[in-house]
Amino acid sequence: MAAVLLCRCRALLSRPAGAPRARRGLAAGPEMHFGFQTVTEEERREKIYQVFENVAKKYDVMNDSMTLGIHRVWKDILVHKMNPCPGTLLLDVAGGTGDIAFRFINYVRSVRKRQLQRKLKHHQNLSWQEIFESYQKDEFNSLGDSQVVVCDINREMLKVGKQKAQHLGYSEGLSWVLGNAEELPFDDDKFDVYTIAFGIRNVTRIDLVLLYRSKLITPALSQALQEAYRVLKPGGRFLCLEFSHVSNPLLSRLYDLYSFQVIPVLGEVIAGDWRSYQYLVESIRQFPPQEELKAMIEDAGFFKVDYENLNFGIVAIHSGFKL
Amino acid sequence: AVVSKGSRHYPPLRALQTSAVLRRASDEHKKAPLTSSSQQHFDSPPAGHQPEQKPQGSRPSYTGQGGQESEDYESEEQLQHRILTAALEFVPEHGWTAEAIAEGAKTLGLSVAAAGMFHSDGSELILHFVSECNSKLSELLEKEQKLVQLGEAEKKPIDEFLRDAVEARLRMLIPYIEKWPQALSVLLLPRNIPSSLNLLTSMIDDIWHYAGDQSTDFNWYTRRAVLTGIYNTTELVMMQDSSPGFEDTWRFLENRVADAMTMSNTASQVQSTGEAVVQGLMGAAVTIKNLAGLNQRR
Repeated sequence: MAAVLLCRCRALLSRPAGAPRARRGLAAGPEMHFGFQTVTEEERREKIYQVFENVAKKYDVMNDSMTLGIHRVWKDILVHKMNPCPGTLLLDVAGGTGDIAFRFINYVRSVRKRQLQRKLKHHQNLSWQEIFESYQKDEFNSLGDSQVVVCDINREMLKVGKQKAQHLGYSEGLSWVLGNAEELPFDDDKFDVYTIAFGIRNVTRIDLVLLYRSKLITPALSQALQEAYRVLKPGGRFLCLEFSHVSNPLLSRLYDLYSFQVIPVLGEVIAGDWRSYQYLVESIRQFPPQEELKAMIEDAGFFKVDYENLNFGIVAIHSGFKL
Repeated sequence: AVVSKGSRHYPPLRALQTSAVLRRASDEHKKAPLTSSSQQHFDSPPAGHQPEQKPQGSRPSYTGQGGQESEDYESEEQLQHRILTAALEFVPEHGWTAEAIAEGAKTLGLSVAAAGMFHSDGSELILHFVSECNSKLSELLEKEQKLVQLGEAEKKPIDEFLRDAVEARLRMLIPYIEKWPQALSVLLLPRNIPSSLNLLTSMIDDIWHYAGDQSTDFNWYTRRAVLTGIYNTTELVMMQDSSPGFEDTWRFLENRVADAMTMSNTASQVQSTGEAVVQGLMGAAVTIKNLAGLNQRR
């Protein structure tokens, strides 16, 4: 995900230079016998784990440099769209370094402050006793019982996230859980909102792809969506922020050019890891575009599924409700 | 496992899948649940999709498949309708906001995130409330009309009728009067103007319809414009009225309606006077022509 900015560097991927990956064989469809290296599912999971392990410490820096800081705006928009009120229970999957979680906490805190101010305005004609009691009740409730659980499959990412939280002073209402998006360690009907920002791409199992009704849809992705459906309360919301398809041809070319020329170089210079970023770029390309993802979310049982394009489709926010 | 249902090709069938919340509309009427044997007659839930909350009662049996919208499951719109209705009771406390909608959703057993289905400024809630009030007004007027038709009540004179109708409609705002100015400002947002204008005009139309207006000429427009003016100004007066029982507002209303009646009388008087004047002028013109000898036939 760090690969931010990215896009489908088709040119980059079709070159024989660079690490041979199953991805390219896959891109050609049934022609997997082309002689590229194929990996088993287990190996692939290992590889993805290692990618993020290597990238973890420089994750935020890379994000900033590759998107020129715009990823912060994207994440802000996501939380604004969520518009959480105090008392919301959020599950942030693949939320490693905690970006969404921190924004959620800030948002809820300010909403709560406004609520308390409004209540105080009403309390103009109370007796001293009543005022005293109301202060006791509300004083230590700056988050209004909201909580966020950050779940990630990668220990390193969680470690970086915890350090960041300590450094920035977030302690209340935050918990960190190690878990797999395809098999969440939570009970049914637990959360109000489920978000996954730039993580759902990595859930896709590339080697075990099935041609399902002539579309490339993987069982892992739908499994993740079904898990999301399971852990959400009735009325709960699913939000997904992910790189997506740019339909404007001119912009698409510029975008391809940028990520083709700049991203790999940045990866090598800043993180010292060309291959990880190549993987990340490839995974973006393989991901289904907006309409397909919308259809998959509907298939998982969500209602009122909709998406919003940010920056002409470079990034899209999908939203669905468990009704 | 790959999900193998045909929901993509038959969108209405999705409502049949174990929706956690969209309940059967018939649940509201029926008390006894149907037998569970009828569950075998349609698509079983796809493998891997765990339904965690079955809707109350079991599903009806179907002979056909797909394309048949289930009459028994409520649609998303109906659910939204229910949430908004439940949210109204929280408006005096939270205002016309997404918070009130969230509280409303909570009372229905839904998560507070369901408020995300609506716009964050509460527009839908306000529009919903306005349309509910309009429906209530229509029902009221229809009932009165029936009584008059049955001969059980006297037919009111126009000014009294209009006065009572507007007063009845404005009285519905009383429980929410504190937050109503906020609602008015939201209704004036460019995004909401088409809908709010629509609701306003249909309400005024209704009132005139039950008042017995059957005009098909320009009067139709003037009548509606006049009543809209009366309604809007009275509403604004009501916002800052602090007299007991809103007496000032009703007195204001009475005066405005009286003004309107006078105006219409004056208008018809002006018209007949105008006609008389024109006729007089025509006569004078003919006389002058006669005198000048222009009318003679040679």
